[in-house]
This record gives sequence, C-alpha cells and structure tokens, in this order.
Amino acid sequence: MKCEEYRNQFADWYMERLDAAKKAELEGHLDTCADCREALAATQFVLDSISNLPDPEPSARVRADFRTMLDEFKAVEEKNVPPNGFWGQLKRSWALQPRFSLAYSLMVLLVCVSVVFLISRDSKQEADVRDLRAQLNELKQTKLLALLDNPLASERMKAVNYTGEMKHVDGRVINALLTTLNNDPNDNVRLSTLEALAALGNQPEVRTGLIKSITMQNSPVIQLAIADVMLKLQEKRSVGSFKALLKQKDLDNEVKRKLKETITKLI
Amino acid sequence: MDILSDNALMLQVKAGDLERMSLLFERHHKALFGFLFHLTQRREASEDMVQTVFYRMLKYRNSFAEESNFSGWMYHIARNVLKDQKFGLSNKYDMIGEHEEKIAGGTLADERIEKSQSRKQLYDAMGMLTEGDREILMLNSMKELKYPEISKIMGITEGAARVRVFRAVEELRQIFIKKGIKGANE
Repeated sequence: MKCEEYRNQFADWYMERLDAAKKAELEGHLDTCADCREALAATQFVLDSISNLPDPEPSARVRADFRTMLDEFKAVEEKNVPPNGFWGQLKRSWALQPRFSLAYSLMVLLVCVSVVFLISRDSKQEADVRDLRAQLNELKQTKLLALLDNPLASERMKAVNYTGEMKHVDGRVINALLTTLNNDPNDNVRLSTLEALAALGNQPEVRTGLIKSITMQNSPVIQLAIADVMLKLQEKRSVGSFKALLKQKDLDNEVKRKLKETITKLI
Repeated sequence: MDILSDNALMLQVKAGDLERMSLLFERHHKALFGFLFHLTQRREASEDMVQTVFYRMLKYRNSFAEESNFSGWMYHIARNVLKDQKFGLSNKYDMIGEHEEKIAGGTLADERIEKSQSRKQLYDAMGMLTEGDREILMLNSMKELKYPEISKIMGITEGAARVRVFRAVEELRQIFIKKGIKGANE
C-alpha cells in the first residue's frame, strides 16, 4: 500500500475503528515510515483538538421541556388511538370527511329521487324521468371533477370512488382519472384511481390510457398493481410499455420479477 | 438483544411504550446537544433543536426499523432538523462570549484564559471550514457512529465518507498552519 492509502486510515485508527489486522499493518508501516509518523502526529493533533472541544451542558430547561413534550405527545396519542386494522382506519377516514358536503350530496339526491318518484307515477312522462336521470349523472360527474382538484387526498379518493356508482362515465371523467393516475402525489389516491379505471376496462380509451401510464409510474406499489390490471384485462399491447419500464434504473427487484412474469403470461 | 439497548428501547417506543423515550433522552440528549451546538454555535437554538429531534423521533417512530442503528437514525434526523433551520455561523463570536463567561474567574484564571484562547482559535478555525467539512468532522468524532452509519447519515458511500473525513482533517490542518497553531505541521 502507498503512504496515501495508509493516511486515509488515520481517522479510523484514531477512532479505533480498524480491525486487528489492518491496525497491525498500519502500525507496521508507521514503524518504517518517518513521513507517515509525522503526518499521523499532525492528524492526531487536529482530531485531538476536536475531541477536546468542551462538551457544553444543556440547560435544565431542556429536560423539563422534553418532559412536557413527551407528556403532551402521549396525551394526544391516547386520545386518537387509531382504530385497529385497515377497516378501522378506513372508517376513521370516512368520519373525517366534511359532513356538510355529504349532507349536500344527500339532499340533492333526495330531491332528485323524490322528483323522479313523483314523476314516474305518471307513465306519460317517462321521457322526463330518463332526462332527469341523465341530469343526475351529469351532476355527479361535475361534482367528481371538482372534487378531484381538492387539496385533501381523502376528498380526491372520495371522488375516485364515486365512479363506481356511475352508470355512464364520459370522456371528461376518464381524462380526469387518467390525469390523476399519472400526476397525483398521493400513492393511495393513485391506487384507487387505478382500481376505478380497471373497472372501466371495457372502454378502449381507458385501456390505451392505462398502457401509456405504465412508464410514468415510479412507485413500486402502483407498478405492481398496474401489472395485475393488465393481466386481468389480458392487454397484450402493454408488453412494450412493461419492457420499457424494465429498462429503468433503480427498479424495485420485486417489481422486476413481477413484470417479467406478467410479460411471459401476456405473450 | 439486550432489552435495554438503544435499539430495543426504540422498538418498544415504536410498539407504543412512549415513556421509553425518556430513557433514550437521558442517554443521548447531551451528546446530541453537543453536536448541534458545535455545528451552529448557538445555545438556545440547539436546545430547541434537541426537542425537535426527539419530537420527530416520536412522531416518525414507525420509520425506525429493527435493523436500524439508533444513533445513526437520531443523527440523521438531527441533520435534517439542522438543514431545515439553515444556520450559518455568522454569530459564532456571540456564543464564544457566552461560553467564556462560564469558565472565567477563579484561582486558575491564567490557565483558563490560555485554554479559552486556544478554544477560541479552534472555533475560529472550525468556522473557516465549509459546512459539510464541519459536519463530517463532528460525525466522525462521535464514538457511537461508525462509517456505515456516517455514510448513511450523509447519504454517500462508505468509501466516499472515509475520503471526506480525510480531506476535512487535512483542510482543518491547513487552517491551523495558516493561523500559526503549533502541532499541526508535519
């Protein structure tokens, strides 16, 4: 070894981080090399002055403040003990939704349903009923689009879940969902969006959009989920995108394995 | 594993026994304070940051994994807290004044003055290093941290950490020489 390499180990030697063999080797070299001995003395001097920095005493306030902080933290934690398990968490997140928006939706629904009910008694006005149903659907879609822009992840999630209740989903909504799938910062929201889109998998634009989206996902969870969806839809056109995704660096190993498996199953 | 080791205690905190954090506080708050103080040279801000670090450890306790090293994890958080505060070293002399007050006077005054002189020179020299060099030297001087932890905290490879320590020592040595501090010449 060159002197330079030995000198790289001085700090380790000083902090006693070298194993016995390396330590012996370095010390052996020091016995024969006067230059390195001097360099070590200088390094030692520098490191000594750092270790000799006086350890300042924190004031008593620090301990008292810590006690207060810990007690407060414990009190807060005890108050919101998270309900156990996934379902409990889900229930809790529903309970957190702003109630008036829920009330508003229910009221609109109630008014519409009663109108529909009243009208439907009159068989001559069936056309109106159909019209109203369409309007209701339209209303839902508009609400969904507005909710998708909400800064709260839980609200966006709710919007995504709305699509399950809809009979007809038009291009606007599909576009909005695809945009959410590709750009939403929250993993859970994207995951729900993927599920919602998978349910609409019989529409060609959804399939195309999903295939395009494959290479845009960087979260392993979503990558795994999208592979599952493509398998379920038996979408052979996705193979190219998966191959492109496989070429990406720092891809999760589990994802790599899954993608390869998906590709072989699809081909 | 020893049930009172740092890691075991932290895992108990993670499992919900929050009170265990007070033991970890007793063990580590002084060293942590020293680390923050030497890097920022601000007493009150460092005391506040100690709280913040412990608060974050409680809040993000679930990110502590069984194979984590407690000290490594703590200093990693401390470094983030420091980064959030974005301290420069501009007011370092205020602090040194503050420090001097505590050691002045008494029968050994001469010796103390001499000590405080060389300490002042050292702080001065440390102040001339880049933030990164100062940080790696402080991390290097922590007994409980080894290269795997240091490199993780800094987000670099072990080899790179070793080289950076070497360079920072060299940098400080050159500053010592320039300032005429004896003992730094080869």
